[in-house]
Amino acid sequence: MNEMASKLFSWVNKRLPIVNTFERHMSKHPVPSKVNFWYLFGALAAVTLIIQIVSGIWLIMPYSNTEEEAFSSIEYIMRDVDYGWVIRYIHTTGASLFFAVVYLHMFRGLLYGSYQKPRELVWIFGCTIYLAMMAEGFLGYVLPYGQMSYWGAQVIISLFGAIPYIGESLELWVRGDYYISGITVSRFFALHVVALPLVLIALVFLHLVALHEVGAGNPEGVDIEEHLDEDGIPLDSVPFFPYKVLNALVAIGVFMTVFSIIMFFFPEGGGYFIEMANFQKANPLVTPDHIAPVWYYAPFYTMLRAVPDPLGGLIVMASAVAIFFIVPWLDRSKVASIRYKGIFSKIALTLFGVSFLTLGYLGTVGVTEIRKLVSIICTVIYFSYFLLMPIYTKYEKTKEVPERL
Amino acid sequence: MMLRLINLKFFVFVIFFILILVCSNKTFAAEGGPCKDYGECDKFKYSLNDLESLQRGASTYINYCYGCHSLQYSRWGRVAKDLEIPEDIFFENLVFDKSIKPGDLMTGAMPEDAANWFGVTPPDLTLVSRYKGDDWIYTYLRAYYEDSSKQYGVNNLVYPGTAMPNVLLSLQGNQKLVCKDIPEIASNGGEKRDESGKTITKEKCGFLEVEEGTGQLSKEEFDSLIYDLTNFLVYIGEPSKATRERIGWYVVFYFLIFTALSSLLYREYHKDYNK
Repeated sequence: MNEMASKLFSWVNKRLPIVNTFERHMSKHPVPSKVNFWYLFGALAAVTLIIQIVSGIWLIMPYSNTEEEAFSSIEYIMRDVDYGWVIRYIHTTGASLFFAVVYLHMFRGLLYGSYQKPRELVWIFGCTIYLAMMAEGFLGYVLPYGQMSYWGAQVIISLFGAIPYIGESLELWVRGDYYISGITVSRFFALHVVALPLVLIALVFLHLVALHEVGAGNPEGVDIEEHLDEDGIPLDSVPFFPYKVLNALVAIGVFMTVFSIIMFFFPEGGGYFIEMANFQKANPLVTPDHIAPVWYYAPFYTMLRAVPDPLGGLIVMASAVAIFFIVPWLDRSKVASIRYKGIFSKIALTLFGVSFLTLGYLGTVGVTEIRKLVSIICTVIYFSYFLLMPIYTKYEKTKEVPERL
Repeated sequence: MMLRLINLKFFVFVIFFILILVCSNKTFAAEGGPCKDYGECDKFKYSLNDLESLQRGASTYINYCYGCHSLQYSRWGRVAKDLEIPEDIFFENLVFDKSIKPGDLMTGAMPEDAANWFGVTPPDLTLVSRYKGDDWIYTYLRAYYEDSSKQYGVNNLVYPGTAMPNVLLSLQGNQKLVCKDIPEIASNGGEKRDESGKTITKEKCGFLEVEEGTGQLSKEEFDSLIYDLTNFLVYIGEPSKATRERIGWYVVFYFLIFTALSSLLYREYHKDYNK
């Protein structure tokens, strides 16, 4: 029996590079031996993507993508489908935690200069994934067809209308109708469940292929390839499998604990993960008192509102996301990690973090004069972090980076 | 050591995240004051395992509310099953239309032209506890007061100008807005007194008070009736909520064990390269 199995395995392996691939990307793939918890969020993002895809497939089965039935089919899932509520809450909690994990993963990149040479492409693929996620999240939020789905979509789609000349026809083209209707829902459904997941999976694949080509970074910013043993393996490295896989497994355990605490005890996330108004069916005749995006778009929504002119707001908002793409060329520092960068980089990153969180908070609450002022200040800080980066990273005094990890 | 440090940082981070969630709950409640003229909504704590409360709530709902407000996403049989009411008793006492089967949705008993009666169609209430919140419902149903300028002679502090008459008036009695002499509070937190030691009071208005002897129920009995009704609406808003909170503990426990075991395994392998 054993012999047969091994024969079969070798037959397949001669035709499909199973052993080679496993060795190249797992058991013989060297990763830095010393990293910290910031380096675990990538694995968690991958896990969340899988959770979203699997729970999504099961949600498609009972969901109805028509104007009349979209909302009631969600309640059908919550009530009549056996454990349908588990599947739905997995998907809603997963959506928010996907963004949480990805934001932390991106912050790690800024913290330890993960975008620096030779990892520029890894970073760019990552930014593209984030962009695709934003689109995916928006499209998915429209599908339950509650009040916030409707009015959130109304706000976002009308942004296209701010583009000069082609704006109005573009808006109509995106919506497929003169107002948001069943046509909009069904096309968003197609994009949400087929088109964007394909794009996301392809991008994640490219992100990982590029990463494995250049190798993972570390919090010291040391190039582990500089010191190799006699077999050409970096001295400060361990094989990805089993060491890092086990490390990720611990992280997954902690993450899933948090995940289940939220989904079983606080599935609405205090109105941030599922907004209360979204338990009311979409009603084109009644505008909710207060249209707020889900928390993960909130920082950008605040920037949009901070600019009085719609086109200006759109440009600011789009640039806030787009600017991430050029970070590898904005950082002129000799060192990668914040540990060895100078005081200006540290201050800049802290201010950036604080302004991002503040913008996020402001996006979920109503506008007042003072909040508007704060949001303008935070937007300026947000952009200064990026735009002044070439200056403060080039001229500040950096510390000496050690030879080894 | 390294692992310990990782876990500690992670732990702090996780706690921080949960704190944010808890705080966010508060910030949301504070926005704009959902209970309007009433001020802060009264706090409501559901008890979905108290089946008797849910049964009483269901009975109140069907007798007083269901005539106008459907529960269109819920099914009759499911309510009977979840509330552990034997189907024959349930259908005999709570289902007035005898053609209804257990699998039917609770689509309401209103005729088509109902909107003309109140100016608006009475909304479906299956999800009211989820978009209004249980605190709001519990406060709203107890905040009716006499106001002869309104169509039905009543108004509501929580929802000024509400289109719904006070259906439970005969039970609650005639509630009025009254003015009271309230002791003034000094800056040190104590009551203000004049030179002779008498408490200084100031007349304040907007207090709800039921005219004695006008209702069938006492204040406590009425509050308890509304408690059961709100509890039922929390149930109907998410029938799986009790199950969710019950099995949640097992899932969390499972992942804690999973974390502990994987962390032991990781520690063992970790020794290979970090002696």
